[in-house]
Amino acid sequence: MPQTTIYVSPRSLGAPDRRPPAVATAELARLFAGSPALAGVTMTIQGGRAIALLGPNGAGKTTLLRIVSTAIRPSYGSVEVDGLHLNRDAAAIRERVAYLSHATGLYDDLSARENLAFAATMIGTPDAASRVARALADVGLEARAEDRVGTFSAGMRKRLALGRILLGSPSLVLLDEPYAALDVDGMTLVDDLLAAWREVGVTVLVASHAVGRLEPLLDGRVVLERGLVVDVHGEGVKHVPPAPPAAVRPAVAGAAR
Amino acid sequence: MKTRILGLVALAAVIAATAVALFVVPPDQNQGDAQRIMYPHVASAWLAYLSFGVTALAGIGWLWKRDLRLDAVAHSAAEIGVMFTAFAIWGGMMWGRPVWGVFWQWEDPRLTTTALLLALYVGYLLLRRLSDDPERRATRAAIVGVIAAVDIPIVHFSVEWWRGLHQTATIGSPDRVLNPAAPMVFVGSLLGMLGAFTLAWLYLMIRRYQLARAEAAREEARRMDRIMTARTVEAAR
Amino acid sequence: MNALRRDASVALAVARKDAIAELRGRHATVSTLFFAGIVLLLFGFALGPDADRLAAAAPGLLWLAVVFAGILAVSRLHLLETDDGALEHLALYPVSRQAIYAGKAIGGFAVMLLIAVLVLVAVGILFAVDVLGAWPALLATAVLGAAGVAAVGTFYAGITVRLRAREVMLPLLMLPVLAPLLLGAVKATAAALAGDPFGELGAWLQLLVAFDVIMIVAGAATYGYLLEDG
Repeated sequence: MPQTTIYVSPRSLGAPDRRPPAVATAELARLFAGSPALAGVTMTIQGGRAIALLGPNGAGKTTLLRIVSTAIRPSYGSVEVDGLHLNRDAAAIRERVAYLSHATGLYDDLSARENLAFAATMIGTPDAASRVARALADVGLEARAEDRVGTFSAGMRKRLALGRILLGSPSLVLLDEPYAALDVDGMTLVDDLLAAWREVGVTVLVASHAVGRLEPLLDGRVVLERGLVVDVHGEGVKHVPPAPPAAVRPAVAGAAR
Repeated sequence: MKTRILGLVALAAVIAATAVALFVVPPDQNQGDAQRIMYPHVASAWLAYLSFGVTALAGIGWLWKRDLRLDAVAHSAAEIGVMFTAFAIWGGMMWGRPVWGVFWQWEDPRLTTTALLLALYVGYLLLRRLSDDPERRATRAAIVGVIAAVDIPIVHFSVEWWRGLHQTATIGSPDRVLNPAAPMVFVGSLLGMLGAFTLAWLYLMIRRYQLARAEAAREEARRMDRIMTARTVEAAR
Repeated sequence: MNALRRDASVALAVARKDAIAELRGRHATVSTLFFAGIVLLLFGFALGPDADRLAAAAPGLLWLAVVFAGILAVSRLHLLETDDGALEHLALYPVSRQAIYAGKAIGGFAVMLLIAVLVLVAVGILFAVDVLGAWPALLATAVLGAAGVAAVGTFYAGITVRLRAREVMLPLLMLPVLAPLLLGAVKATAAALAGDPFGELGAWLQLLVAFDVIMIVAGAATYGYLLEDG
């Protein structure tokens, strides 16, 4: 599938040097049931860059993506997306971010087309019917468009979830293990998408284990381990090691010390 | 220290108001000595409403300002409110037995309303226990606290009507004393009891809030400790 | 105005999506209706076989069956959103939270109204009550009652769907809140069946309207917070 066929909706993003950082976190930490999934991440990701989030299972990659997507709130620290603060401007952030998570968020009883049509209404996609048809074609699900998603394999679900991202015009795309469950064609599709987004200046943050495959497609990489950034390479990403304890600020007021 | 003085004053006031209600006020013409239960009963019911109002307002405050101290206030008020609600129900039953001949009088709107209040807020407290993340817990509790509070007046009206849409208030209902024709000595005694109970409520609120903050501080210290451990382990590698 | 139109289309899309899933999967209605039928039958055993006594208790039994079935129905409708993390995705769309609440509540209302009407018919048959004679008032009661259960249920199911103990917590939180609705609906039904001898039907319907309006406003105002608490 040649990459030129994929329709990635453009968005006016401003000159690269004048864009605010696509993602800026300060001492970001999140606990689940008292145990830290992120233990204090301070980094900035430059707008328009494609960055890999690497690290073993349980390193905090998914937690970081979920926080940036506004799905969950941080326990400590702060996040800004395109200069918008997570606590104040979550609604504006949602308009700019597209998120492919582990869970596809698709409805089993709806067909592929119905799922995308629903998403198009929710996103507010103009010209929805033709955009849905286009996205279905782009992810290679045209033939199964009228089938219920409950009958789909994991790989097909993943393709459909990718198609949903194509319905919006995000400035930041978050991908959590995009290659997982996909066949060879599907993996090529992800490669093409990454290239297409990069071309139009969309920032991409992709959590993956497929280091070798991603290497040529990306500008830089961040390595997480046990909730902390342990290494940073390449361009477009900066990282500050954890500050002393006093610098960790609760995300809400009135957290007792 | 100030809180301790408040506590002693509240204790003295409750003892004094109880003494007045027991020995100074004459027995009621119709109900005799049983009517004396009315003083703490009405005072408890008032404090239950006050507590649940505070829970709702503090909950809205949390949703708005995201300040965990407000959540501690909401939690404290709900717990104390449940206590006073239970006390009010118990008082109502003790009063009902000699006056009506039964512990539970379905025709009394106060009793049935209060029982529903107890159910609403026991649910609130149970929900709080099901979340181990302080912010999630605060948000869920705040929402449930708000819904419960807006439900209270509807519960009140519906039960009042349910008893009989075209019936006048039952003779001997506890709030009879509050009507203007009642002798001053009854009114004075009731107001005294209300004041004394409210002081006691204030003392309990402060103490419960301090306890909630101490619990939060311990939880917070444990969380911070886990984060720092994670950092130290990583730094040592 | 534009924002309002968008909210309306979002709410309809959510409701429509639930309706399609319901028509294909029948998660909520069939099993819930069956449950309501069993409840009615058991009430009959518990209170019967004296026909007069059953007829007198019919309004109460009717609404208890509807409310119990309603707990199951709203819970099923929200479980749909746990299909592969759908609830989290729903929260991530750039749409007003009130619109999502409205959509879920409309879906819940449709299911609840169906349940209320069918249970009403079943009560008419099982307890020898003349439901056809007073159908306009009974239908009004059913509509208002269904709206109230949907408004409250959507909201509480949204909280409990993420809890470990949701099967216990949903009825425990919801039933006390629904008490005034139960009172109002039972009284309105009883008044309607008796031909409204005391002229109190209007007052009970007003109570139901007040309950519905207050709960819809409170639910819409707070649903966003529970959607976002992850």
